[in-house]
Amino acid sequence: MKGHALSLRRLTKRYGDFTAVDDVSLEVEQGQFLTLLGPSGSGKTTILMAVAGFVEPTDGHVLLDGRDITPLPPEKRDFGMVFQGYALFPHMSVADNVAFPLRVRGQSRADREAKVRAALDLVQLSAFAERLPKQLSGGQQQRVALARALVFDPNLLLLDEPLSALDKKLRAELQEELKALHRRIGRTFVNVTHDQEEALSLSDRIAILNHGKLVQFGGPGELYERPRTRFVADFLGKSNFLQGIARGPDAAGMLLETPGQGIHVRFAGPVHMPRDGGRALLSLRPEKITVLNPGETAENVVEGTVRAFAYLGAGFSLVVETAHLGEIRAVLPAWQSPVAPAEGLPVRLGWAADAAVPVEEDAA
Amino acid sequence: MHGTHGAGPFGRGLAWITALYLVLPILIVLPVALTDQRFLSLPQDGISFQHFRTVLTSPEWLGSIWQSFTIALASTVLSVVAGTLCAIGCWRISRRATDLVRLLMLLPLIIPSIIYAIGLYRYFGPLDLLDRFLGVVIAHGVTGIPYVVITVSTALAAFDPRLEQAARGMGASLSQTLRWVILPRIMPGIVSGAIFAFIHSWDELVMVLFIASRDVFTLPRRIWDGINENLDPAMAAVAVLLIVFTLLLLLVDMALRRRAQ
Repeated sequence: MKGHALSLRRLTKRYGDFTAVDDVSLEVEQGQFLTLLGPSGSGKTTILMAVAGFVEPTDGHVLLDGRDITPLPPEKRDFGMVFQGYALFPHMSVADNVAFPLRVRGQSRADREAKVRAALDLVQLSAFAERLPKQLSGGQQQRVALARALVFDPNLLLLDEPLSALDKKLRAELQEELKALHRRIGRTFVNVTHDQEEALSLSDRIAILNHGKLVQFGGPGELYERPRTRFVADFLGKSNFLQGIARGPDAAGMLLETPGQGIHVRFAGPVHMPRDGGRALLSLRPEKITVLNPGETAENVVEGTVRAFAYLGAGFSLVVETAHLGEIRAVLPAWQSPVAPAEGLPVRLGWAADAAVPVEEDAA
Repeated sequence: MHGTHGAGPFGRGLAWITALYLVLPILIVLPVALTDQRFLSLPQDGISFQHFRTVLTSPEWLGSIWQSFTIALASTVLSVVAGTLCAIGCWRISRRATDLVRLLMLLPLIIPSIIYAIGLYRYFGPLDLLDRFLGVVIAHGVTGIPYVVITVSTALAAFDPRLEQAARGMGASLSQTLRWVILPRIMPGIVSGAIFAFIHSWDELVMVLFIASRDVFTLPRRIWDGINENLDPAMAAVAVLLIVFTLLLLLVDMALRRRAQ
């Protein structure tokens, strides 16, 4: 067995009156890539530090393969960690940095050399073994930090915003590398980030955190397609929100009654079901809305006028003012847009009944 | 750069006068040491190295130089070990109490050394530390701690605490982290503190006057006695040697700092 399973049981961390992590429980299976995603101050880094052993939880437990490791100090946990800003030792060469975890474990020089070479090969930095960290680029330093975290066959690999210091293009490159690395070595990774694109592209499981609470936990597709709350829909990608009264909700779907018209909703999977006659909120992704050609129809149609638009190269982003639903944002592929957008242009927007999902308002 | 003005003639003149004021009294010993006379004076008919010869062949002077050197070395070890541990401890714990500890550590710098010396004299008597090598080493070692605490604390302020976390996270024990990560990073600060602690002991007179008499007779003490008893130009020669030695230490310190940058 290569990876290890990690569980958090009712993890809580308080600093005086401030609750940084509030009763968080989740399970990661062996070999999975978990991302803790949230805005700054959401408690994601505190959770990572509690898993690493640098933060002592006020309450709750951290379990590795079912064994409680909460009381263990960080040096006894055998977790590899890539720190924000990498934390490479500036006075040591790349090879010595990577050899450090082996040296503290008292391994022989010959063993160390072989493993360091293998780890540097893994991140394609063998040619840089004798350089000092400051002689490397940001991306190379990041890869040294990865090699150092992996060289001692750690139980878990923890990543604290590993890509945040890099520019956008390099970040995308390293995202792919990180994902390939995870597939190749099959270990359990726990990553912390505030970048939703990074979370979506890398993870098997995403835990979305806000104000120290776990808001939703699941696979990237599940979270994107069926966000449980307004916060999740808003933080993971962009979303329109439509408010109204729920009419006749059942397993198949419902109708959202708004002042001007009814919105047909078909449930594509298990969702939070609003009460019949109660207030309901729909999340509707901008890319699921199309601009209809004259005569074309859809399950839901709304008329409006273009108030603003932006050309994004790959697509158009439109802000459409509607009579009863407020502003609706739509993103259309530029090459198949039926109209050349212009401010004040009247348009008909359409979307399928299964495009929108009901979400809860977040508890304040 | 625009916006920065050169100093006016007044400012420039003041700066030069201050510099001369600092340096001249030191420079005056140089011609005095080279005098051809038999008393403390400027050279009259020519320069002579006879007084250097006297110093470097006299068992008393050589004995005092050796004694001062070993005392300075031993007290430097004491200052460096105690001062470094104190600075690291305060840095790691970092509470309000540690600020107080750091302030306490600076007391030997703040309190006049003559007051310190009177206190030491009272305590060292019953402990049989008066006129002992160990007594002077303790006195100099303890009063040298502030220099080390200051320089090491400065070095630690620039130390990235994540490096310590990284080391611990990779399985390093506290002592391994200290030896392989923290100490190498703050070594320039430690060496700097050691040099200052060494110089502090090397030219310290007031405490030695109180707690040493015959057996321990350091170099500053011999110069002091020499000035009081006879005006032998050998003292000026010793002073020149002292200055050269101190300058060498400071140059080492500067070189180390430059390398650290």
